[in-house]
Amino acid sequence: MDTRLPDDAGQLADAATRRFRRLGGVDAARRAEADPATRETARKALDELGVFDLDVRADADQLLAGAVLCRAAGAVVLPWPLIPHLMRVSGRHLVLIDPGHVRVDHGAVGLSWLGANVTGSAWPLEAGPPDVAGRLGPFVTGAVLGEEQPGRIDSDDIARYLTLQSWTILGALESALAEVTGHVRTRHQFGRALSQFQAVRFTMADVTIAVRGLEQLAKLTIWRLGRGDADQRVADAMALRLHAAETAVTTLRASHQMYGALGFCDETDLSVLDRHLQPSLRYPLSAERLARALVPFAGSGALTSRIA
Amino acid sequence: MDFELGERADDVRSQLREMLRAGVPDDFLGAFTDDPADLELTMRFCAELAEAGLLCIGWPAEYGGGDGTVWDQTVVREEMWAWHEPRGPQYMGVNWVGPAIMRHGTPEQKARHLPPIAAGSVIWCQGFSEPEAGSDLASLRTTATRDADGWLVSGQKVWTSYAAMASWCVLAAVTAPSEPTSRRLTLFLVPMDRPGIEVRPIASMLGPHHLNEVFIDELRVTDADVLGTPGDGWRIMRDALAYERVGIARYARCEALLERVREFLRDGWDDLPESVRTRWVRALIEIRVAKLLAYVAVGGEDGVDDAAASAARIVTTTLDQTVAELLFEALGSAALDTGTDAALHGAVEDHWRYAQAATVASGTIEIQRVITARDILGGR
Ligand SMILES: Cc1cc2nc3c(=O)[nH]c(=O)nc-3n(C[C@H](O)[C@H](O)[C@H](O)COP(=O)(O)OP(=O)(O)OC[C@H]3O[C@@H](n4cnc5c(N)ncnc54)[C@H](O)[C@@H]3O)c2cc1C
Repeated sequence: MDTRLPDDAGQLADAATRRFRRLGGVDAARRAEADPATRETARKALDELGVFDLDVRADADQLLAGAVLCRAAGAVVLPWPLIPHLMRVSGRHLVLIDPGHVRVDHGAVGLSWLGANVTGSAWPLEAGPPDVAGRLGPFVTGAVLGEEQPGRIDSDDIARYLTLQSWTILGALESALAEVTGHVRTRHQFGRALSQFQAVRFTMADVTIAVRGLEQLAKLTIWRLGRGDADQRVADAMALRLHAAETAVTTLRASHQMYGALGFCDETDLSVLDRHLQPSLRYPLSAERLARALVPFAGSGALTSRIA
Repeated sequence: MDFELGERADDVRSQLREMLRAGVPDDFLGAFTDDPADLELTMRFCAELAEAGLLCIGWPAEYGGGDGTVWDQTVVREEMWAWHEPRGPQYMGVNWVGPAIMRHGTPEQKARHLPPIAAGSVIWCQGFSEPEAGSDLASLRTTATRDADGWLVSGQKVWTSYAAMASWCVLAAVTAPSEPTSRRLTLFLVPMDRPGIEVRPIASMLGPHHLNEVFIDELRVTDADVLGTPGDGWRIMRDALAYERVGIARYARCEALLERVREFLRDGWDDLPESVRTRWVRALIEIRVAKLLAYVAVGGEDGVDDAAASAARIVTTTLDQTVAELLFEALGSAALDTGTDAALHGAVEDHWRYAQAATVASGTIEIQRVITARDILGGR
């Protein structure tokens, strides 16, 4: 048993973090909100990191490389559709959708899209109206479904997509937590640092444990994606994605609570992280819908804690 | 025991619903948008409410009110909040500024300030919080220095909601720096156009107008502007905050949105995961509880009880967040949609964002717990 990331993945994660910091960190997302054309700088950064040569389907190492990149991108809510790119299918960018109500984050970056639901039915998508984007998910667009395509998307692709989405969420939560931890240490009220108040300490302890738990589950899941049977892999990925969404809701809520009014202001990263992460939490399916989809696995042995 | 609010309250509710149907369009999401027409609508609507004797129905007639009961006024607050608060920022004048002036103001201040609030023609803001004084409100630094003509005030306020819309401010400042908290602060009633006040909006996830900075530089105030007596600011602020904490009937919007979303979903309701529908039922029960605790807080003999207001505030603000998340679940992929093409014109997304700040605004729930625990257990 060794839960540490292999050296290669660790080095790539560091390189990505450094490169995204050069972009300005969360400022790149802020800039993109004011001028969506600046998203091109995010694409360039990914290109420099070799993202466009990565084949996450090829082997476990490349999948893990994709995951650590998603985590680093999540940490700054990098304004570019990285997962659809990593998961391209014959030149089209794969995005998981709810076909009854199609939404695409960064739909308008000028890519060609392939939408799929979590059971693998797929449609070419034309991103466009309605114009529904607001402060939560400022780059979201609507899209029109084309003719359903004959073949299904491989269930392993669904599993990879949901896993990469979860790693993105993990990165964003770690980043939010780091900012809030710094804040409660330095902000003083009643003559003491906020971190001295037991209510604050308990809350910080709870959310930190929750994010650590998510990290471990994310690592287990990606390790298992190379093993077991296909059903098991989808169940694992959906379970991780459900846990990521629920951990995000409690972590972001607690982070705002600890930050006070300042955390709602766009000058703090927390506000931008929260707003820009929302599409990853809500699409393709809400947490309760994911949970419902997992119910059949409860009796099949797919959700036991037996790990290997 | 009797849980009836009274015949007049029931009539008021019907009358308000009639006025809301006629005067507030379906896509109205409150005054705090980028469209100035929304604020104008609230100004018109307040004037209409005042004309009909409803805006300050629970106030004494001598101050322009309707001599009604606290329950009549409660009904107004519930109906307004359920429809995205068409009183706009003026809810504050009705809820706590007016009552504070009634309880602590001079006859001249009452005569000057209460009629315009009751007429629905004036917007107030609250200048309490400062960058270094949030939860620890008593430690504020904005200082009023005595001179021959009164005081000169300098300092900075922050988070001041609706400051750019307001024409008056209840401003807290230090007047006796070396005294203990109970004698250190004074409240002033100040017009926002007086020289020395500068407002800067703050961009936030809540949307425009909710948060502002207010810079104060050698603002002239006089004895006539003091609310209560110099040095009595802390007592009046705590009193005012209790009124503020029960002044927003968040549970009413929760109930209205749950109902509207259920209607919107139609057959989709049956397709929701069972877990969403059972959460829904629990939310409806929590709404009842939140409402009852709010009623306990406002129904006291001598105005709003501080500890009961904190208890009600904890329950109604956490309810707000529970319902916000539940409604997002129900809408699924449509949750984040805004604008005219969105479900309920984006009311659910708007509610979710505003709910995030519920447990921080008007004093955090941690501070409300401190107040409630002190009431139950004693100590500090
Ligand atoms: C939407 C909104 C509108 C507002 N409008 C106004 C307005 O119009 N006028 C105005 O004056 N102010 C306004 N405020 C300010 C509001 O009153 C403060 O945000 C609030 O009192 C908390 O202060 P803070 O934000 O500085 O948080 P902090 O005081 O820095 O608190 C940060 C965290 O530390 C916790 N904490 C602090 N002290 C303790 C303690 N002793 N024990 C346990 N935990 C503690 C808090 O509970 C919180 O979780 C508004 C705020 C919001 C969010």
